[in-house]
Amino acid sequence: MGKQAGRAPRRLGKARVAGVVIVALLLVAIVFTIVRAAGDDSGAKPAASGPVVAPSGAVDGALVVGQAGAPVKVEVYLDYMCPYCGQFERANGDEIDRLIGDGTARLYLYPLAFLDEMSGGTRYSTRAANAAATVYDQAPDKLLPFNNALFAHQPPEGSTGLSDDQIAGLAGQAGVPKAISDDFDERVFEPWVAASTQAAFDAGLGGTPTVKINGVKFEGDLYTVGPFTHAVTEAAK
Amino acid sequence: MTIGPLAWFRRLRHADAWIYGTMLFSACLSLLASFVLSIDAVRLAANPGVGLSCDINAVISCGTVALSWQAQLFGFPNAFLGMVAEPVVITIAVASLAGVRFPRGFMFAAQVVYTLGVAFAYWLFYEAMFSIGALCPWCLVITVSTTLVFATLTHVNIRDNNLYLPPRMQQAAARFIDADLDVLVVTIWLLVIALSVTTRYGSALFG
Repeated sequence: MGKQAGRAPRRLGKARVAGVVIVALLLVAIVFTIVRAAGDDSGAKPAASGPVVAPSGAVDGALVVGQAGAPVKVEVYLDYMCPYCGQFERANGDEIDRLIGDGTARLYLYPLAFLDEMSGGTRYSTRAANAAATVYDQAPDKLLPFNNALFAHQPPEGSTGLSDDQIAGLAGQAGVPKAISDDFDERVFEPWVAASTQAAFDAGLGGTPTVKINGVKFEGDLYTVGPFTHAVTEAAK
Repeated sequence: MTIGPLAWFRRLRHADAWIYGTMLFSACLSLLASFVLSIDAVRLAANPGVGLSCDINAVISCGTVALSWQAQLFGFPNAFLGMVAEPVVITIAVASLAGVRFPRGFMFAAQVVYTLGVAFAYWLFYEAMFSIGALCPWCLVITVSTTLVFATLTHVNIRDNNLYLPPRMQQAAARFIDADLDVLVVTIWLLVIALSVTTRYGSALFG
């Protein structure tokens, strides 16, 4: 009996030492991950610094698609990582194509990058926006198909996003020639994306998606087909 | 005879005032978080457009957690459950601080129900981390505070032999608590949560 009583506390004492060691190891691991995360930005993919080069045909921060004489100006501010931008696009993408096609609307697409932190250090927002700008620069008619493809395969918020190869693959599916998607790596338009993101914020943009019709923010339902189309057709009258 | 600070702390830790005091604190914290999340959920329901965007000032998330199906598993916002359950814990803690001793069956029932609640909180934590992929600070507060309430409730129920355990298990559990190993287990547990959060969201939080 006495022996047993003596053994039990000793075993518990060992467990206590082991527990303290585990606590110490966990603390070290936490500090390590924080330090590594804090250093991430200067890691594998630093932001491209360089002169701000706008894609040819861009107006300020916007990639413009559609006939110059179209009566309605539709402005869409988006971030390729923003889940609601994906919802808007998946609901209204076809309608936007149609409204541009029949000359009702002219689209001003603002690809922004403010959700870079949400892709585990891979800066997906910036990479995707740069790819869109590159496509627009060299093959403007492929921008909308590529844009739709990016949102059709949108990575979830907080994931590491699509890889550069996956983005190039989607460009291929959208009919973008390989010579153009090979240029994504050059990251020529990243400074332009950063500058236009900053400009949009300075102009008071509150979030994404923001949709403006003839300069007025559309406050209706962005996520079902109908209200947006209706508002555009009304504005065209 | 003088007692060292460690012995003093150990005596304090197993005292009713400390146990029910910390239970009260953790339950209030959990109630506060449930309250904030419930208000958000109601606001969102009244005004579906409000939450449906990525606010440029919200570094943490686009509010995707609140809009997921997991956030309304039973057809109403999960946070409502916290608003229902935590006041009961608060009542138990306050009454116990005032000297009330609840019957064994009552405390056992509280343990069973709260265990279900903790399991639910961890399921949500897991879903938010790995399925929804978005961080929700108030949800994290709930994860941590329900863990603390669970720990103190279990502590007191083992101390007072309320869990209808077989004698041997009860003895082992009592020794475990008496050796303060439960403190270590809870500490390790919370650090594992902290580590998984920093691993998963480190670049979003500190990048």
